[in-house]
Amino acid sequence: MEIPIRVMQVADDIKAMRIRGAGKIARAAAEALKVAALEYRGPPDESSFMKYMAYVANLITSTRPTAVSLHNAVLYVVSKVRAVSGGVDEMKSTAINAAEKFIQESIEAVGRISEFGAKRIKNGAVVLTHCHSTAAVSTIINAYRMGRIDEVYSTETRPFFQGRITARQLLENGVPVIQIPDSAVRYVMNEVDHVVVGADTVASNGAVINKIGTSQVALAAHEARVRVFVTAETYKFSPMTAIGELVPIEMRGAEEVVPLDWIKSHPGIEVLNPSFDVTPPEYIDAIVTEVGVIPPQAAINVLVERLGWALEEFIQSEHGPVFDEV
Amino acid sequence: MELGFSPGLTSTEYSLKLLSEVSESFSKTSDLRDLAKAYSSIASRVRAERPTSAQAINLLRDLGIEIVKSIGERHGLSYVKNNVLGFIEKWRNRIQRELSEVSKIASRRISSGESVLTHSRSMCVVKAAEYLASEGKRPVFYVTESRPGMEGLVLSEELWRMGHRVKLIVDSAARFFMKDVDLVLLGAEAVAANGAVVSKVGSSLVTLAANEARVRVFILAPTSKLSIETLFGELVQLPEGDWRRLMSPEVLNTLPENYSARAPLYDVIPPDYIDGVVSEKGLFAPQAISYLIKEVHGGWPLKTISLESLEKELGKLAGGGFYGDTD
Repeated sequence: MEIPIRVMQVADDIKAMRIRGAGKIARAAAEALKVAALEYRGPPDESSFMKYMAYVANLITSTRPTAVSLHNAVLYVVSKVRAVSGGVDEMKSTAINAAEKFIQESIEAVGRISEFGAKRIKNGAVVLTHCHSTAAVSTIINAYRMGRIDEVYSTETRPFFQGRITARQLLENGVPVIQIPDSAVRYVMNEVDHVVVGADTVASNGAVINKIGTSQVALAAHEARVRVFVTAETYKFSPMTAIGELVPIEMRGAEEVVPLDWIKSHPGIEVLNPSFDVTPPEYIDAIVTEVGVIPPQAAINVLVERLGWALEEFIQSEHGPVFDEV
Repeated sequence: MELGFSPGLTSTEYSLKLLSEVSESFSKTSDLRDLAKAYSSIASRVRAERPTSAQAINLLRDLGIEIVKSIGERHGLSYVKNNVLGFIEKWRNRIQRELSEVSKIASRRISSGESVLTHSRSMCVVKAAEYLASEGKRPVFYVTESRPGMEGLVLSEELWRMGHRVKLIVDSAARFFMKDVDLVLLGAEAVAANGAVVSKVGSSLVTLAANEARVRVFILAPTSKLSIETLFGELVQLPEGDWRRLMSPEVLNTLPENYSARAPLYDVIPPDYIDGVVSEKGLFAPQAISYLIKEVHGGWPLKTISLESLEKELGKLAGGGFYGDTD
């Protein structure tokens, strides 16, 4: 089977994390499927084409087996192609259209989220955010332009200091921001009106998987009766979780936390570095998606209505996101 | 340094250093006026530098009262000096004795194989770990890196050298691991009359996560850390730092010009999240702290004098001429 070089390149870039961030990898995956359809050189029968697309789909999803957005992008395109009753040409054009539509909607999603999210911010608000999320930052900037935000607290977010990216983007847009260490979240919480964070994955019960520390921020907010808003595009909702799968939490290397020479001179100390944690739905007041603001408990509605095609795939196949290549 | 590694002194270390500084500066004084001046300048420095440390405030108050008393009794310089140096020695012994008692009591709550989470670095926790090691008890220690300062790196090294199993985690991961933890052990800067505890920033977040997971929280705090002032409604002041506590100037240069950071150093753990305060007199519920204050300081209502007024009183003595001139 002949796979276009550009498709192989995208797969490689995602695997090596040259393309990262939930939105970017999802769009890259859709683009790769579009290229695959455009450059199909195999026999002109439906089953050969479907086999080829399934092969490409597997190749792309295998690059980051736990990235929900990647799976959703691929599933979106493949399920549309599978529903076609006509010949190869119609299947091709369906794949191309579906991929383009996914990319378009994904780009528009952040705009809609920031519009909906900003409306939820009170006048004169102090907002706290953790880590760096494009949707959360856009929401905050939007609310600031509407004159609703006085000040933003941004956590440093160890070990990678993504909070510095957040601080930079907010400052560039004129938003007053104060950086605090992650440990000071409860200390400042009494001054805060809203917590706005992004999401890596949303589970079917409304739990949000996001950067390590998010659940602590939400817990401290809950204690202080500060509202917590999660901004998340619908392609971050995980169909897998609807069939009972747990979201695996990646444990990353010690060298991200402490310098390499420190690790070498302290061989008896185990450095544990989980990348994500799970914020239970009880601590989330609303999830802001591009299709609307929902309570976390309504996540299943998004999954059924927005990602029904994906859900169907998961329910039918026992092995999750493996596409039938036969 | 790039990460902001700049561990501070624990409050016990601070008190011990303070005692050495006081005895050194007093031994250099040539008259009572000098001695009173030296006292005032040390006391006002401590109030500015470490207002959270109840132990440092308590020992300076005791010392001030002692000085005022012996001057009032019209003793000469050498008598006052000897008296004060003896007093300092007594305080040094008291701190060591308290440390060892507190750590013994705390260690009884821990068995081999259990997991203990601790934040920042406390002398009482270090001593308790030493005591556990000497008894052959081997718990697993979860240690947070504890920004700003990152004292967790120092503590994890000490625990590892004692032969304990150590798992170092970022501050954000405390809730993530809380389900695997049996007990949270923390030191204290000050214990307030209502049972609230002032400790390194992040402590209150750790105890909140422990409370949520129904993990017990013990504060290791000898009675010298009871804050008497809080009994009269005083709030403990919490000092803060800035970006300097979080990064090197080189890192700051990579950030936007108008970048600003707040680095709180301490926070307050509410009594509801504390299961017990371990003092050298035993394990107390945080709600029983006022009783403990009464036990230690005797009498009710308490008679006490603020450090500020002692400082002023001795400052006045230092300014005017008095009997000591002829000594």
